[in-house]
Amino acid sequence: MLTLSAVSHYPKIGDKPEEQVLRRAHGQLDRKEIDEAGLERIKDEVTRHALQEQVEAGLEIVTDGQIRWDDAVTYLAGKIKGFKLTGLLRYFDTNTFYRQPVCEADLEAPDSLVVKDFQFANALSSVPVKALLTGPFTLAKLSKDLHYKDFEEFAGRLAVILGEEAQRLARVGATIIQFDEPALLQFKKEFPVFKKIWTKLARLLPEGIETVLFLNYGDLRGLYPQILEVPVTAVGLDLATAPENWRLLGKSPFTKKLLAGLVDARNTKMETEEELHERLERALDFVSAENLSLSPNYGLEFLPRETARKKLAHLSKVVREFREAKVKA
Amino acid sequence: MNLLPTTSVGSFPKPDYLKRARTQASRGEISAKKLRELEERATREWIRFQEEIGIDILVDGEMYRGDMVTYFAETWKGFEISGLVRSYGNRYYRKPVVVDQVKRAKPITLEWFKFAQSLTKKPVKGMLTGPYTVMDWSFNEYYKDRRELTLALAEVVHEEAVDLEKAGAQYIQIDEPAVSVRPEELPLACEAMGIVTQGLKAKTLTHICYGDFQKIYPGMLEIPVDQIDLELSNSDFNLFELIRKTPFTNGLGVVDVHSHRLESKDEVKKRIEQALEVFRPEQIYVDPDCGLKTREVQEAKDKLRVVVEAAREVRKELVASKPVA
Repeated sequence: MLTLSAVSHYPKIGDKPEEQVLRRAHGQLDRKEIDEAGLERIKDEVTRHALQEQVEAGLEIVTDGQIRWDDAVTYLAGKIKGFKLTGLLRYFDTNTFYRQPVCEADLEAPDSLVVKDFQFANALSSVPVKALLTGPFTLAKLSKDLHYKDFEEFAGRLAVILGEEAQRLARVGATIIQFDEPALLQFKKEFPVFKKIWTKLARLLPEGIETVLFLNYGDLRGLYPQILEVPVTAVGLDLATAPENWRLLGKSPFTKKLLAGLVDARNTKMETEEELHERLERALDFVSAENLSLSPNYGLEFLPRETARKKLAHLSKVVREFREAKVKA
Repeated sequence: MNLLPTTSVGSFPKPDYLKRARTQASRGEISAKKLRELEERATREWIRFQEEIGIDILVDGEMYRGDMVTYFAETWKGFEISGLVRSYGNRYYRKPVVVDQVKRAKPITLEWFKFAQSLTKKPVKGMLTGPYTVMDWSFNEYYKDRRELTLALAEVVHEEAVDLEKAGAQYIQIDEPAVSVRPEELPLACEAMGIVTQGLKAKTLTHICYGDFQKIYPGMLEIPVDQIDLELSNSDFNLFELIRKTPFTNGLGVVDVHSHRLESKDEVKKRIEQALEVFRPEQIYVDPDCGLKTREVQEAKDKLRVVVEAAREVRKELVASKPVA
């Protein structure tokens, strides 16, 4: 019945000096005051803190905050053999950047991409931890392929690598795995290829776990209801700043679980409680409470930490009130 | 003005003594007056250097600015400055937040412009950040949408441009690095720039970097400025091909001819010569790539020297091959 879920990243630092350990640690590493192992320990510490803050804010499904990730691309591609990381490129329409991976040889996955991170977070958390991966289509689109010379083959290879990672994650206890595929909304005409790549990936996805396809940086115009053909159990959408998504949901029955991004994580402006209540009620027009999770529309790293905390607490309050009203009724 | 005049995009690296002083000032260890003295010293040094190597249109180097948006936002009314957000790696910045109607309480760039111009007889460019970029790089808690905020900011930037012109600025650069990020909003950026440059007699320029020109060319030629400064050297694809298909007809192109390493004079010359295949010589101004502030002082100086020498040689060859009638 109606859960409150994290999306992806959490701010790595805050404004108070004690919240800036990670920022300082990078400086300490540069000055050789700590070593790589020391930096890793600090990342563990910051991850612990991010988990704790998410739970305190009332989230019932959390993430490791992607504290180790520089961005959605570099962290994963940097671990896959065959990729070389190159210059900084802008990540969609944000003011953040990623290093473009260039594929120069057969792609080979290491033993794990994020399994250790998941295990670390999962051991610490009192609530379920969602494992996070960037989807094969997006990874391929944001990379440059000089090796396979065929997009479908290149992205297909990534699909296999990510599918095998999902299997490893399930073996160590992951019950929810989210794949972010924002690039699909920028390349809608390529949906047939997207589906082929995802069919390849889905064959590897373990049975009995929740698989989330998260789609932001745009709306589903031109992709709904076809998007429901993708073999995942849940779809995540921006329902805070993409009004077209609401209209589309009304056009055709939504047949999966919905992760509804009701809170805008890219603007500091606070939603009013009325607005959030109204969006929640609206989401319930399309899916039952059992099949609905509420979240921000993006990871929280675009916001200052203090604002991120406030936004989560705000959404959490609305959910609490909704439940209390249900109990009374 | 020379054929192929040389200039730079805007910011230069701050010397170590100034970096130290800025840190000290932020901790309250030195006075604002002391910091100001050092900023003036660094500005003097950069103006002198540009004169020495023979740059035609000078900049003050922005020794007193941090971020190109926050510098304006922290003085304009209607803004607050947020907590820290990350841009990439270990880099964080305080993002401006629009919480009320934006207004200009007083001129922001005027005093430094006058100071820098008083140090040289050559023209110094007035340097502003465009309304579209300020909008895109701020949180908006007040205006209805992106358009409304952009147009409000355009009025404020226009006031600043008018003041610069009154103070004698012959060149005013209004940078819009965010303009290529959302191609569908290019008409908005153009409309806003029209408000900024309306009625100005000074030559107006804008610098465009980071983006995918393919997405906004030739639409970007509609940006109502006299010159568009394009980052050519860091672009992955061949912008020249695009320009060949749809020539630059309105106004002048300024060419960035440097990449992130120090190129030889011959490499820079080759870039300029390539540009001459698609631009008329009088369309071309030559400058190094995107602001040099992230470089070491010596590195930035070397780059500027190479650019000036290369432009000088190409200029000579042009004059020799085509005697002016």
